[in-house]
Amino acid sequence: MIDLQNVSKSYTVKKVQKCILDDVSFTFETGQNVALMGHNGAGKSTVMRLIAGIEPATSGQIRRSEKVSWPLGFSAGFNGLMTGVENVRFVARIYGAKTAQVLDAVESFSELGQSLDLPIETYSSGMKARLAFGLSLAIDFECYLIDEITAVGDARFKKKSAAALQDKIKSARVIMISHTEKTIRDYCQQGVLLYESKLYYYDDMNALLADYRKFC
Amino acid sequence: MIAALWTQIRVIAALMLRETRMTFGSSHLGYFWAIMQPLVSISFLVFLFYLIGRQAPYGASLALFFATAILTLELYYKLSVSLMRAFTSNKQLLSYPMIRETDTLFARLFLIGLTFVIINFIFYGGLIALDLAGLPAHPEKLVMAFLGTCFFGFGIGTLNAIFYQRSQSWQYIEKIVARPLFFLSGVFYIPSALPPEAVAVLRWNPILHLVEWTREGYYPHYRSDILVIGYPLAIASLLVMVGLFWERFSRKQRA
Repeated sequence: MIDLQNVSKSYTVKKVQKCILDDVSFTFETGQNVALMGHNGAGKSTVMRLIAGIEPATSGQIRRSEKVSWPLGFSAGFNGLMTGVENVRFVARIYGAKTAQVLDAVESFSELGQSLDLPIETYSSGMKARLAFGLSLAIDFECYLIDEITAVGDARFKKKSAAALQDKIKSARVIMISHTEKTIRDYCQQGVLLYESKLYYYDDMNALLADYRKFC
Repeated sequence: MIAALWTQIRVIAALMLRETRMTFGSSHLGYFWAIMQPLVSISFLVFLFYLIGRQAPYGASLALFFATAILTLELYYKLSVSLMRAFTSNKQLLSYPMIRETDTLFARLFLIGLTFVIINFIFYGGLIALDLAGLPAHPEKLVMAFLGTCFFGFGIGTLNAIFYQRSQSWQYIEKIVARPLFFLSGVFYIPSALPPEAVAVLRWNPILHLVEWTREGYYPHYRSDILVIGYPLAIASLLVMVGLFWERFSRKQRA
């Protein structure tokens, strides 16, 4: 369960104040695969970062009773000067996972081969994303946060990622940002619409998509 | 509570390993250079003064007299400078929720502290082997002086990190402030033997106290008229407190 209590989030960029959440109390119930939708710039990614615990809320509290991943599909957490292997070891260590086991899993999933021994700065963005995705699957999270990840790599790798993710959500759940209707229907049964700094819950995907088209 | 503590210990340990890699490359010799680099530069300084060589201001060994000051000063410098960049060079780490910015400070503190423990052993060990020094007379005092220097360096380093994060030009100001320390910290002279006018000014320098503390620890009968242990410790406590609170309360605005 991820529980937001009276959470507000706003920030100021060059004197322009932007309000993402305004006094929102909301619970992401355990086990639900939730789609997070909203129009461009509404702050979906920021909400995800709040859920992940990367960014502090301006006020209010967020409680998590499950092991939440970092938002997948961005590899900003990697250090470019360190090799793939070193980055993987580091992340495994901070999450208290067994480094050898995680490394094996990442090696076989990411198909990066010898590139794993090269510094990350030599990777293409597709390679980085493959590494990040493989790594997050190798560490057992209970809740995967996915920010537009499905567009990674070539067709074959996309298929492989999708299969791996489907397999994963048998034992874990996802909270997912996507603009693609099909992706959302493939993974999610519930939805949340971020609209004018509030979160609205939908039990029914058709209703969510209908409102999404109407308001966003 | 205990689980959170373990997470933090795990994170700091992982960060320390990462720091060694980042600073010294991924060669297996990496950490060797971490120790060699300050060791060589300190040896060079001591050797240089040894060549200029007048009589040792105190005791029989010029090298030991310099070493007690330079090792302390270098530890302080290293902490001050490398902690300064802890926030800015670790930005990407903050995408992992369990890593706090302060963890990067602690990781660097422990790494540099441990490195200097080794450096101290090698250096004093070398002097003893070359018959340029005896064994430290009050090892417990030497250890306390070392920890005190770490603490003080951590306080300055934390504030440096905060200032540097807000304005990169802080590094120049830091340099201007740090440069004269070499002359103000009793490297070449016995502070207590200076004229009272000089003492009245120099005694405000907390690092001089740390050097005096180290010397009282190493030499059997070194008596400093200046040393007040509480002075550098009080300043260090104040700096650490201000630094950590400031970091904590400004975190929300920065994110």
